[in-house]
Amino acid sequence: MTVQGWLGSLRGRILIGLTVLVGGLVVVAWWGTATLRTMRHDVDRELQALRAAADAGNRLVIAVFDEIRAAEQYLVAPAAAARDRFQTAADEAFDQQARLAALPGLTEPEHLMAIRIKQLQAEIQADYALAHALRDLARDPDAAARAAAVGAPASALLGVVRQLASRQAEKAAVAADRLRSQAASRELLLWTVAGVVLLLGVGMARWTLQELATPLSALATLAERCGAGDLRPVATGPMPGEFRLLAHALRTMAERLRALVIEVTAEADRIAGAAGDLSAVSEQLAASGSEVATAVQDIAQGAESQRGELQSVGEGLGRLREAMGEMELAAGRVAELGEEIRGVADRHRGDVTAARGALLGVREVVQTASGHIAQLAQQSLAIDDFVDLVKRISSQTNLLALNAAIEAARAGEHGPGFAVVAEEVRQLADESARAAEDVARTTGAIRNQVEDVTDTMAAGHAKVRGIESVAEGAASGLAEIIGAVEHVEQAAGRVMWSAQSYRSITEDLGRRAEQVTGRAVAHASSAEAVTAAVEQQGASTQEMAAATSNLLQAAEKLRGLVRGFRV
Amino acid sequence: MRGDSGVGNLARGVRGGGGGALTRIGSLAVALGLAACAGGDEPIRIGVAGPFSQPRGVSMERSARLAAEEINARGGVRGRPLELVFADDSASDSVAVRVADEFGADPAVVAVIGHLNSGASLAAARRYGTARRPLAMITPSASSPALSGISPYVFRACPSDLAHGAELARVARERLAAQRAAVIFVNDDYGRGLRRSFVAEFTRLGGTVLEEDPILPRTGSLEPFLSRMRAAGGVDVLVLATHREGAELALRDRAALGLRWAVIGGDALSGVERLGSAAEGVRVSSAYLADQRGERNGAFVAAYARAYGGDAVPDHRGAATYDIVHLLADALEETGPDRRAVRDYLAGLGTRHPAFDGVTGAVAFDDQGEMPGRAVAMGIVRAGRLVSER
Repeated sequence: MTVQGWLGSLRGRILIGLTVLVGGLVVVAWWGTATLRTMRHDVDRELQALRAAADAGNRLVIAVFDEIRAAEQYLVAPAAAARDRFQTAADEAFDQQARLAALPGLTEPEHLMAIRIKQLQAEIQADYALAHALRDLARDPDAAARAAAVGAPASALLGVVRQLASRQAEKAAVAADRLRSQAASRELLLWTVAGVVLLLGVGMARWTLQELATPLSALATLAERCGAGDLRPVATGPMPGEFRLLAHALRTMAERLRALVIEVTAEADRIAGAAGDLSAVSEQLAASGSEVATAVQDIAQGAESQRGELQSVGEGLGRLREAMGEMELAAGRVAELGEEIRGVADRHRGDVTAARGALLGVREVVQTASGHIAQLAQQSLAIDDFVDLVKRISSQTNLLALNAAIEAARAGEHGPGFAVVAEEVRQLADESARAAEDVARTTGAIRNQVEDVTDTMAAGHAKVRGIESVAEGAASGLAEIIGAVEHVEQAAGRVMWSAQSYRSITEDLGRRAEQVTGRAVAHASSAEAVTAAVEQQGASTQEMAAATSNLLQAAEKLRGLVRGFRV
Repeated sequence: MRGDSGVGNLARGVRGGGGGALTRIGSLAVALGLAACAGGDEPIRIGVAGPFSQPRGVSMERSARLAAEEINARGGVRGRPLELVFADDSASDSVAVRVADEFGADPAVVAVIGHLNSGASLAAARRYGTARRPLAMITPSASSPALSGISPYVFRACPSDLAHGAELARVARERLAAQRAAVIFVNDDYGRGLRRSFVAEFTRLGGTVLEEDPILPRTGSLEPFLSRMRAAGGVDVLVLATHREGAELALRDRAALGLRWAVIGGDALSGVERLGSAAEGVRVSSAYLADQRGERNGAFVAAYARAYGGDAVPDHRGAATYDIVHLLADALEETGPDRRAVRDYLAGLGTRHPAFDGVTGAVAFDDQGEMPGRAVAMGIVRAGRLVSER
């Protein structure tokens, strides 16, 4: 992936940012460590150089002193040991001088000083060596003079060594100053780098966040627009790779939705148009169907009423025919009855005359019986009086018996026999009362029966008189009946003839009416079938109209839905 | 000769001035180069440092000049003339330091041949390595062991005193059958180094060192030392770890005292043969002797004699210098005039680059800047001439 490609994606940016930060920190840390190490190294080097210089200087001076001491000792008392020590110390002094000359970073003057030191050492050693030879040859004054000559180079050597040491110290001070300024500048540099890294990191983070927020809001706006139905294509501007993917997806979605909505709109329009057409057609169809139905219904109703009327005509004719038949029969019966009535009337006229004679005899018997009964009623009254007399005597007797019983009780021992008689008397009185009662009762019953018979006799008498009048009326009636019967027989004959002729005509009419009725029925059923078909068609048409209306509504709804989108 | 006058100017200038030698260094070689290679570019400069005002520096200077003439005669280096810049250090440590610093500061100088003696070389050695732009120094004759590995920029085209001292001890013990020895040494780096290596080897071989006496160039008489040796019973061999001057003093004093002790010394004694009878029989260990075998050496010695007079003979310093000039010419041809590249070429001699076949033998350097395995020849003064003792 190219750098631009990396920068184009959030992941790349975050990675690069982190890498830069971590790298910067590593650089800072490395730099810091390296600086510390360098400083330590420099300090070590300077210290070591200083120490080496001081060390070599010191050793050199010590060695030279050793050399001089050994040399002087030998001059005082020549001995192999002192001579060896002199030799060794001299060699040691040269070695130290070599170390001094090999010190790093010597300037030319310092180098020349080191060379000068070496020459002085050589002089010292050579002079002493000659002095020793002279001493060994016992030329002491010469030896002393030679030894004394060593003083000058020895002090010169010390001077040069000191000079060199002080120069080294100066160099150390300069080095320390240099190190200090170096440390300060490196510290500054380190802080600068750290600051730059920090700024870089913060900038990177801010940049990334900004790059995150801007496309996010742009995408959110895009999504909101899509959600609100605005599907028109829109540019989102540059943004990181991940967001570019998202934006592309959103745009593709909107594009597809847009295409879909356009297609749906067109389709809805087409459906609405078709549904409108269909609706118009179905309305026309329904109108014509209902007209047909109405006409057919009128026809059917007409047929129905025709049929009803014909039927009633038929029935009327039937009834007429029957009536004609019955009339004919009745006329026949009337004629027959007339015959019978005349015969019966003739017979009863004789019976009635006989009955009237019997009735006159009954009237006389009844009159006699009623006289007897009246006498009997008067005799019964005399019995009642007698009974009343008996009843009064028995009641007085009963009262006497009671007084006798009371007198008997007062009479003591003589009384009981009397009391018994008194009792007997009282019982007798009671029985007499009771017998009188019975007689009274029987007499009442007889009187009631006499009264009834008297009433009956009166009624019978009235009846007999009524019967007499009836018999007289019956006789006259019978005579009139016979005369009427003759008239009836004549009329019945005429009626019978007429009835017979009417009946044939009526029968013919009835047959024709039945035929017409059959046709009317057929017409009515056809009309019903047509009506049913028309009704069915009407229902279908209605259904179609309803469906078309539904379709229209749906299309309208669809248009309403789609109208929300802006494409 | 034009060259002669140039060298003279240079030498006089250095002698006269003492300090700031380079400011008055003549341009002998420029004249030589322009003459030999007319129309050439800016010359390539090589520094040559030694005590040219002293007899011991003569052969070195002449040989260097001879080699440069030969190189420029055949077209120089990469088409550019080779120019030698001579600086007289008077064999002084402090002058050598100044010379080194001035060579180091002159960017035109790509390498330095020198210094001649151990003290000057030791004093200057560190200066070349610590210059702002370090440059290589190849000494033809400084033999102090202290020079070994002192700096990556220091090379030595001769055996060290360890080889000389050991060879002297062997010769003394075996050829001269010496039992007792005395060492008179010049109290400088050379003398102390040779003395130390001789004493160590001689003692190891069973000999006895009676005494080791330091002298200085200003020392007027060695008689006390010699008298004491005689008083102590004499010695079988007297080792002179000195320069030619000290040796001449010792030989004169020995003759004055009538002593017949055998005398041996290092190649710093070269030239002592001209002392006369006092020097007869003195044995000198040397890296090079003019009469040594070899076709190239024969040609060199003949050319040297032709250039500087019939009796002029190159010493070991001259021969080594002659080799070094040619070697540097090879290096420059190979690497170009660059200090670091030249130094690296020298360090790779015998390993990355083939050893240089010179008049002194094969030249190659180890990681200490030394020439390993270079044998030391033994010369002897016979009839006033230093010849190989075969």
